[in-house]
Amino acid sequence: MRYVPAIVIGRTVRTLARLRKPGGGSAVPGLVVNKVAPGYLATTLNSFRDGLVIVSGSSGKSTTTKMLVAVLRAHGRSVFTNPSTANISQGLTSALLERADLQGRIHDDIAVLEMDEGHGALIAAELSPRVVALTNVMVDQIDRFHDSEMVATMLTAIAARATDAVVVNADDGYLVQLASSVPAGVRVDRFGVSSAVLDAAPHGLGHARLAPERLSDPSGIVVGAVSGRTASMLIDGDEHTVGLPARGVHYATDAAAALSTARAVLGSAFDVDLAVAAVGSIPPVFGRGEVVEVRGQQVEFVLVQNPASYQLNIDTLEPGAPVLFAIGSDVRDPSYFWPVDTSRVSRVDIVSGSKAWELALQLSYDDVEIDRVETDLGRAVDDFLALPQPATGVKTIVFSADSMRRTRAHLGLTSEGEPS
Amino acid sequence: MTTTFTIAVIAPSLLNTNGDAENARVLARRAEWAGETATIVAVEVASDLPERPDAVVIGSGSDSALVPARDLLLEIQDQLRVWSTSGVPILAVGTGWELISWGVERAVGGVVEGLGILAGRGVPRRERASGDLVLSSRFGRIVGFENHARDYVGAEGSPLGRVLSGSGNGRDSSQEGVVMGDVIGTHLHGPVLAKNPALADHLLTSMFERRGLVYQRGERAASVDDYAVAARNQILTGLGLDAD
Ligand SMILES: [Zn+2]
Repeated sequence: MRYVPAIVIGRTVRTLARLRKPGGGSAVPGLVVNKVAPGYLATTLNSFRDGLVIVSGSSGKSTTTKMLVAVLRAHGRSVFTNPSTANISQGLTSALLERADLQGRIHDDIAVLEMDEGHGALIAAELSPRVVALTNVMVDQIDRFHDSEMVATMLTAIAARATDAVVVNADDGYLVQLASSVPAGVRVDRFGVSSAVLDAAPHGLGHARLAPERLSDPSGIVVGAVSGRTASMLIDGDEHTVGLPARGVHYATDAAAALSTARAVLGSAFDVDLAVAAVGSIPPVFGRGEVVEVRGQQVEFVLVQNPASYQLNIDTLEPGAPVLFAIGSDVRDPSYFWPVDTSRVSRVDIVSGSKAWELALQLSYDDVEIDRVETDLGRAVDDFLALPQPATGVKTIVFSADSMRRTRAHLGLTSEGEPS
Repeated sequence: MTTTFTIAVIAPSLLNTNGDAENARVLARRAEWAGETATIVAVEVASDLPERPDAVVIGSGSDSALVPARDLLLEIQDQLRVWSTSGVPILAVGTGWELISWGVERAVGGVVEGLGILAGRGVPRRERASGDLVLSSRFGRIVGFENHARDYVGAEGSPLGRVLSGSGNGRDSSQEGVVMGDVIGTHLHGPVLAKNPALADHLLTSMFERRGLVYQRGERAASVDDYAVAARNQILTGLGLDAD
């Protein structure tokens, strides 16, 4: 009963916030409840019947979380999970309030939280997750004040809270090291790629530190091969074909992470065929491999957020497909994209965005041919779509977050999560 | 017969945070566009060092890379010293520059001794300098980006240029960088040679001369330089300065 007053206040604030700004103000009720009942968030998150699962790491945590939730739901579990934009404590509390009864209790079986490595470490100290899953520590040069050692330290703090199991990417040198210091009584489960998959990745896996050896433990889940939107994986001695939401080794790794984590959570109730089917049902996301029909033609949109994702996306572009590249003002100084090897592209139809000239320079020094530079993104998109349909592949637009927002607005595409 | 130029880039795995090591690529491409061939040699351990490089590029890294990068530089310091006095162009950016200077005073953790090839040293500054940086220099205006947590003192004798906009070496010096012959140290990170083709071509002219050749900008370079002009003008007009 002790949270009843706080819940009532939180709901009142939520109602008031919605009256002022329909659909908005979602973090405000959380802020208020965290103030009047500072213990509510941790107490609630620690009280799920089947426990709490935390997914963290530099990249792939959203996809892994979505896949894991789908697998758990396929096994009949009701799951509380956080929308990926709201992974700070206010947002989390607000999300809990949406589902809580008047006592503040949630009637789901299990909670699966995606946590940013920074904020996650801050609130993790109060949480007792059963299972912690860590995807990777990537080369993240976008943020020089936030180096890989620091990310590894924060992930260690999150992993230290696990009561049952820590699930780690066995190809990540930092995570392998982290796993060796997990306290006695906490199991370590591993997933990774085969040496064939690693050898086929032209620029490696993007980890800040690649583990020296591939996973050999037969109890781990190994991605044996990736081809287009499917991967074959060795799970408990059997080969399984897993459907992926988009092309790329990183999606296969996310799927292996989700399957490993689901197995750790469900124990003997884990049904591998059910799990594999659930992972394969995950829809692609706009900007991450989703092919969208625009003006009567198929277009693939690819979001570039940092040099590592830039390189991965370049490496998975379909050869010969027409490409529009756009980098906007969200990238203050495009210098840090220069280590990315774009030479594989060989030809770009249009370079656009407010940083078009700098991007054109980088591409030119990789000997990429550029048909045209058009700083007006709207015009660039229109003209790109007006180009003849390619004989092979689909037209592809590669853009930074700011250019993505502008492109969506220009094409009248609805934002993520809204019904289209 | 074409001449093959060798460009050594020092410790790119440690010193390439902002793509500064890619200046080696800019020199190599422009040499190719001028009709010659070029190879880039990444020097991660001392034994990788080519015997007779035509140019050397040292990029910038995080502070955690200072000591390992300096240790590698110490192993190759004799060669670097010889090249620096015999006219081999050396471009050193940010941390890489500080490491071939007298050294780096860190806010925490004491001093990291440098090689002493260039005069001056890095000293902590109150706030990180981050933004566009424009200089007037004997290569014309130089345009780029700076992002550093240290000032540079002791370069007053021969800076790369006078600051028109930005912080540069700091401590009210109104100067940026340091130059000794064709050894250049600068805070201008990333592809400074791509955005400043005049500076690139100055270094290429030296490289070609040392091989008994005359450098002439290639046709492809000329068209790529149009992108550089547009990128520069966007930055210049954004700062309220006249376009090129
Ligand atoms: Zn970061």
